[in-house]
Amino acid sequence: MLETKRLIREILLIILVSVILGAAVNFPLLRRFLADEFQQSFLDEREYSGIRFITLAEAEDLFARNFQTGDGAVFIDSRSRQDFAAGHIPGALNIPVGELESERKTSAGAKLSAALPFPEGQVLVVYCEGGDCQTSVSLAKLIHERGFTDIRVLSGGWGDWVAAGLPAEGSS
Amino acid sequence: MIRNKRLLVVFRLVAGAVFIWAGVLKVVDPLGFAQSIMNYQVFPRTLAFIIALVLPWVEVISGGLLIVGLFKRSGALLVSLMLIGFIGLVALALARGIDTSCGCFGSLSRRADVGLILTDIGLLYLALCVFFAKPK
Repeated sequence: MLETKRLIREILLIILVSVILGAAVNFPLLRRFLADEFQQSFLDEREYSGIRFITLAEAEDLFARNFQTGDGAVFIDSRSRQDFAAGHIPGALNIPVGELESERKTSAGAKLSAALPFPEGQVLVVYCEGGDCQTSVSLAKLIHERGFTDIRVLSGGWGDWVAAGLPAEGSS
Repeated sequence: MIRNKRLLVVFRLVAGAVFIWAGVLKVVDPLGFAQSIMNYQVFPRTLAFIIALVLPWVEVISGGLLIVGLFKRSGALLVSLMLIGFIGLVALALARGIDTSCGCFGSLSRRADVGLILTDIGLLYLALCVFFAKPK
């Protein structure tokens, strides 16, 4: 009993010290969080200045421009191969973020460069399932690290796209 | 229960070193870790942020205590509890078909998969051996 109390006391002490250290070391970050800077994602805007979040309307506009003026965007689907095969935005490329992360350490991004044969100024729209999905943000970060400077994350993702009845291609 | 003291020291050093390493990689990139937590789609944003600030320090301190040998049972218990949490999270992610990096070693993270669960179970075994070893 005495031993249990001691354990609990020590654990609480460790957690307390961690809370103090975590808050002290990250004080500027804490202030930015309280100022609602990380509403959409935990992206540091200074570090990832080329990534921004767009609405469905903006994505739809870029999609339409692909056919009208040809100055739209390349759509990139960060979901799994199966999800992509079942349905995706017409013309989208599939780069499952999980596969890319595993490859990153070994091939130093060579496969990504091969998968993205575009000039650095190309507008890219990255999307995942929608809802709480986060893979689009992870993929956007990886692409940003390769030097692409205009990456737009479609917040509502595939879910919003389908719900709005926009064009789709795929097996289902 | 393992009684061999030398073996228990090795267990402490291994588990401690892994946790210090994992913790330090996250301490230097709290936002990246917060994003990794969000990837599991379990925690709300504020909680993910708080965990991202505090958990890496808990890892570093418990790992350090395991290595130094101070408060080692508390350190081992905390490490075990964290590992149980990690195993649960990864299993949940797998069950829900979430394909993500585990976030466990900062930017050096591997994929959250069955192999990771096995690694965590191995570490959990080391930590539990330390925890259940008879105190002097």
